[in-house]
Amino acid sequence: MHGERADAARDGITIMTRCNCLFAAALAMTMAPALAAGQSASPDADLPAFHVMGFGDISYISEDGSDEDGFAIGQAVAHISAVLGPSLGVFGEFSATARDSEYSTEVERLIVKYDFSDRYKLSAGRYHTPIGYWNSAFHHGAWLQTTVARPEMARFGSRLMPIHFVGVLLEGNLPSGDLGLNYKVGFGNGRHSNIARAGDAGDVNGDKAWMVQLGSRSRSYQALDVGVGFYSDEIELPGGAPVDEQTFSAYAAWTREDPEVIVEFLRSGHDGAGASGDTTAWYVQFAYRLPERRNAWKPYLRLESIDVDDSDPLLAPFDPDYEAGILGLRWDFNSYAALKGEYRNEEFGADGREHNFRLQLSFVLAAL
Amino acid sequence: MRNPPTRLCGIIALLFALTLAARAQEPAIAIVVHKDAPVDNLSMEELRSIFLADRQFWGDRTRISLLVRAPKSDERTFVLDRIYQMTEAQFRQYWIAKMFRAEIPRGPKIVFSTDMTLDLVVAVPGSISFMRASDVSDDVKVVSIDGKRPSDDGYPLR
Repeated sequence: MHGERADAARDGITIMTRCNCLFAAALAMTMAPALAAGQSASPDADLPAFHVMGFGDISYISEDGSDEDGFAIGQAVAHISAVLGPSLGVFGEFSATARDSEYSTEVERLIVKYDFSDRYKLSAGRYHTPIGYWNSAFHHGAWLQTTVARPEMARFGSRLMPIHFVGVLLEGNLPSGDLGLNYKVGFGNGRHSNIARAGDAGDVNGDKAWMVQLGSRSRSYQALDVGVGFYSDEIELPGGAPVDEQTFSAYAAWTREDPEVIVEFLRSGHDGAGASGDTTAWYVQFAYRLPERRNAWKPYLRLESIDVDDSDPLLAPFDPDYEAGILGLRWDFNSYAALKGEYRNEEFGADGREHNFRLQLSFVLAAL
Repeated sequence: MRNPPTRLCGIIALLFALTLAARAQEPAIAIVVHKDAPVDNLSMEELRSIFLADRQFWGDRTRISLLVRAPKSDERTFVLDRIYQMTEAQFRQYWIAKMFRAEIPRGPKIVFSTDMTLDLVVAVPGSISFMRASDVSDDVKVVSIDGKRPSDDGYPLR
């Protein structure tokens, strides 16, 4: 009896998430072997224990001047974690994204991590680059984020910042008492010549990217997360010209929902191909979970800006200047699903201002 | 015969004493760990850090295994309120996000009874959990919080 209860507890979450494997298996062919293993997660403590979660969203999008308004399947995402030993774990995030005539699948993150202690955790793989807050906080989990979409500066497929990074990462807590300081130091392949992509199959030049981020999660104010970071890389443009990229980022996030405040700032300098210029981007998001009987409702507001120098040799050709004011409402009608609607007043580069509307049903398949 | 002010003072003193007595009888939640865990006292901030999995190792580098009661138990409700300061929905979202960020390989182990909690704390090195102080057995170690035992006045988890 004792053993049965111990096994039940040990695999509590695993058992509850087995059904998610079925969902996940439909998401991406690329992860079929791993999921098959997950479906037969063993209660034997000596064998790897798999945990699977799934995220998905379905949206209705209405955009100014577009005759393609309508429903859209967003991303279907599977997250797998496996405990291979007391300190060794594997994490994977896989997505299937609806395109015009097909689904594209992607290995979003694949990380092998060894935890030596709270101070030293070493990993290798493909990450969401730890620049700023959003990119390494919400990943592809639309349900996790308050809003329908990520800020434009951290949008998937964005050229503004390197969303993905392939290499090694050392992270951990620093001895700092109640300050709760933590760090991340990364080294690896820089961006691909297609700067919206990471150097997944190898670095396109001999110059590796490196980054460092210092953060604080105060023990006294557990909801407060602040940090600064620096990222450096040399990018090779399609014509072969090298461009130095140096990015400074800073963020502050108050993650309690009464209120929730996230502020992020990024300044990126680019120098090469006979020109130099800077890009500045920021957003401020404010949300508030209504009290008591109305606490399923959470109104929110976000202001965003991206300003690219005309002389920026890397980004100016794409004209990514952007300004937006977003007003929305999230309704958590279920513990694992939310409906969000938002009005977006956006200005894209020289294209003028647009009034757009998005409605999104997002959900998570997980259990605790 | 006593005058009215004296009687009033007597009544107030009696009410105060009854309040103290009632407070002393409020059930305390004890934080229990495996016998070999290298810890005897934690501050509330340290405890919160462990329960949030911001701290995942004991001083001897044993990984901390957090055991949490299943939903709807009084102990879980108390801990969510006093330690996590979260609602049930926020608690779920917190752990889902934590796993999704690859900060932890798995969420807390879910236990369904006090007996099961005791069994697992005894069996799993590095484990930490919580239960009513009156349910604690000698097989596990009770950790002081801010230097106070569950039976002490001013114990913060009461």
